[in-house]
Amino acid sequence: MRGLLEKKVLFFGGKGGVGKTTCASATALAASHAGKRVLLVSTDPAHSTSDIFDREIGPEPVELLPNLWGLEIDGALESRRYVANVKQQIKGLFGDHILKEANKQIDLAASMPGAEEMALFDRIGGLIRGEDTRFDLIVFDTAPTGHTLRLIRMPELMEAWIRALSRSRQAMLGIEQDDKTDPVLMSLTGRLEGLREFRARLLSPRVSAFMLVLVAERLPIEETARALEQLNEAGVNVGGLIVNRILPETSPDPFLQSRHAQEVIYLDEIDRRFAKLSRVRVPQLPSDVHGVTTLDALSEILVPQAQPSSP
Amino acid sequence: MSVRQNLRDFFHGAAYSTYERELRMQAAELNDMFLLLCYMEVVGLPNPATLYLLDVYPYLLDQFHMWHKRMGMERSPLGTLPCC
Repeated sequence: MRGLLEKKVLFFGGKGGVGKTTCASATALAASHAGKRVLLVSTDPAHSTSDIFDREIGPEPVELLPNLWGLEIDGALESRRYVANVKQQIKGLFGDHILKEANKQIDLAASMPGAEEMALFDRIGGLIRGEDTRFDLIVFDTAPTGHTLRLIRMPELMEAWIRALSRSRQAMLGIEQDDKTDPVLMSLTGRLEGLREFRARLLSPRVSAFMLVLVAERLPIEETARALEQLNEAGVNVGGLIVNRILPETSPDPFLQSRHAQEVIYLDEIDRRFAKLSRVRVPQLPSDVHGVTTLDALSEILVPQAQPSSP
Repeated sequence: MSVRQNLRDFFHGAAYSTYERELRMQAAELNDMFLLLCYMEVVGLPNPATLYLLDVYPYLLDQFHMWHKRMGMERSPLGTLPCC
């Protein structure tokens, strides 16, 4: 998987339980060894990066190892934080009466379904736009495929929506007054610019790549094929395929032999169906991946050139 | 006010008043459209941009007030949007 560490944003996605977190963590670790300042972000509501690194990771970046930070985004918290921020912003601008009503309205709107997802999206957008300049590379350990694909489609959807709103506002202002100073239009224009930049970086193959993780089994193969189709449709650059947890070839155990024989068929199918993508095979490790030492072993397979020169 | 000024106002009114009324109505309609797009969830439609509109809500409160007045409703018809 060459050139992976040259990107600014990496996503790791796939069906639940195929090893997204492990692969994302190992790649982040490899990049940090190569001298990049890396932020590993978990967007899955069921976070597991803290389990791999065996320490608490919260809604703010925590330094895990030299050059490696961890962050677990929590939708509910982001939404509360967003609302608090807006309230702070409008505080000085309006009189008490309007503020009281507006705050009521803001609380109501923020409790609508979808607000948390939207706040999560907004935080991810900020990270992708590079708002936090401390980091060279941001690695996203995403939630299972469906959820993530929705998130990736969101900038496009939101952009269209905000653009329609801002057109409607402009049409109205064109008749009534000068639109340069209209705070509503100014706010909408600002949002629109942010969304455009978010989408541009997300879709730039120079900046971002999406890695698909799967195991050699029926259901993950099908889900990966669908995900690939949708990512292509959305215009997202797919960096490659990680075929995880491949069984060792030689085993005297008939059970394992049978599993292996089946796996060979699926591996062939993967090679055939995803021939256009670069692929890397990761063997089943003798013990589960937990802690830095085992992660290092995995990094070596995923990104061979980025190993630490001295232990 | 001078006679001259009165005359000017008279001719201005004679020439533009219908036109102006038309424009004002059109503006009001566009404004209502914009309000509806911003307050979709108040009438039960999902609005994907809700969070990005929170900071413009206070600016719109006034316009919402003007809307229900214009529609002949003395008080806000929406319990979730009590503006007066």
